[in-house]
Amino acid sequence: MKLKRYSWLPLLPFFLFTGYFLLWPILGVTLKSFHNNAGEWSLSNYTPLISGAYRHAFATSIRLSIITSVISSVLGAFFTLVIVKNAGSRLTSIIESIAAVFANSGGVPLAFMYIAAFGAEGMFTKILKFFGWNIYAGRFTLFSFTGVVLVYTFFMTPLMVIVFRPAILGLRKEWSEASLNLGANTLTYWRRVAIPILTPSFIGSFFLLFAGAFSAYATARALTVGTVPLVPIIIGTLVDGNVISDQANLGDALAVGMIVVAGVAMIGYIWAQRSAAKWRQS
Amino acid sequence: MKIGRYSLNAFTIFLAGTIFFLPLLAAAEFSFRKPGGKGHSFTNYSWLLQQEGFLPALGTSLRLAVLSGALNLILMVPTMVVLNLKAKRYKSIVDFICILPLIIPVVSLAIGAQVSMPEFLQNTEYELVFFFVIVALPYTYRALDSAISAVDIKVLVEASRSLGATWFATIIKVIIPAIRSGIIGSLFLSFALAIGEFTLTSLLHWDTFPTWTVVAAQQNILGAIAISVFSFALAIFALTLVGILAARKKNQNLVLENEEVE
Repeated sequence: MKLKRYSWLPLLPFFLFTGYFLLWPILGVTLKSFHNNAGEWSLSNYTPLISGAYRHAFATSIRLSIITSVISSVLGAFFTLVIVKNAGSRLTSIIESIAAVFANSGGVPLAFMYIAAFGAEGMFTKILKFFGWNIYAGRFTLFSFTGVVLVYTFFMTPLMVIVFRPAILGLRKEWSEASLNLGANTLTYWRRVAIPILTPSFIGSFFLLFAGAFSAYATARALTVGTVPLVPIIIGTLVDGNVISDQANLGDALAVGMIVVAGVAMIGYIWAQRSAAKWRQS
Repeated sequence: MKIGRYSLNAFTIFLAGTIFFLPLLAAAEFSFRKPGGKGHSFTNYSWLLQQEGFLPALGTSLRLAVLSGALNLILMVPTMVVLNLKAKRYKSIVDFICILPLIIPVVSLAIGAQVSMPEFLQNTEYELVFFFVIVALPYTYRALDSAISAVDIKVLVEASRSLGATWFATIIKVIIPAIRSGIIGSLFLSFALAIGEFTLTSLLHWDTFPTWTVVAAQQNILGAIAISVFSFALAIFALTLVGILAARKKNQNLVLENEEVE
């Protein structure tokens, strides 16, 4: 039993690796964000964040993330239900593969795919026009806020399918049988059993989508070229030196600000996961 | 009621198909369009091959992806096996660390890497490999963990050891085959992520396939669309293949179990 004390030893490589390549950089950027140009401790890097253009960027990023994650989580939840119900058919397994690829390989190729589909000459645009809806009749462009909402929804809905699937798979057959035996109809089963059980997982998935949308960089970068002011894009222009600030560590403060917003979402996610786990004990 | 339910399912599948399939189809159609004129051809694809940067960028991405996949397996497979076998009480902390890359925006991690990494590491593109493994952690962790939880690894190891197998034989002949689906899944995920990673690569100023694509798009958007279609087709093909392989393995196991019961 003496061995038990050293049971963490084989885990040492993991802790060293994540410590050095994950925690150390985050600590580094946090410390740097609290230092001014002269290298003294200071809050000066954070003052631009509470007003003007940078506050506007945070507001835009948060608004975009909320809108897209509401739409995607609702749509995605419906798709997941149907996909799980029809599991095994060839169509659903292909849809699942595509969802996994969209959700994971993300970014750049997706942006170009939507430019092809929804651009002024795209097939989608032409189909919609054929049915009498010219999406370019108004001021719409793919490179505006609405355009970004559209594209984000398309890549976050598959992500919802991926993250919400375990919850739907976790609905036990016994529960619906039990409630049916007790005289409930399908509607009552959903209203009184399934939906209350799924709600924490749904909220958790929503927060996950929010954090994903908030941090997304590649899609926005390939799509907007800076036409929509989002925090990750602004950090990118600071890093690339396209925008010069007289505060050398402003980018670090913005990066820490992003961690804080995403962190709040993740607290929600972890709380929801805990509540959801209650039902998963066997 | 039944008809109503079926048509609802059909409608949702139709809608899901529209959202998942149609953009892909639309992009595929677009990628074959002739530049400027009407009609379709392979022009955009042959344009790709003529570009000087294309093959080197693809090569760099493949090299980084292979290394990320390998490092991910070397680091995570032993960690996850030990965690489930001997060190269950550290599970919640490992679990938390592995979810962190979802919380911490990759942009912030990239800035942090510039602040904290030593000079010699920042001077080589291989620094990306370490961060690709970090960013893939939430996915690779879950793939391995669900595979390991699905089999009772403790019983398997005890059986193998008490039948006189050495630790080495137990690992090679019992543990690895038992969690094969998780190993394939996590390898695929880390590989795919490394091939497509843009944020870290671009912010740390390296040139890989995705960053090359964005630059190329400024010259020839049709070419960039062709690249995207090509990489999606490849990824979906690979994933469907992995899915089929995993399903076949599972069926074999089921057959074995049934035989044992009889």
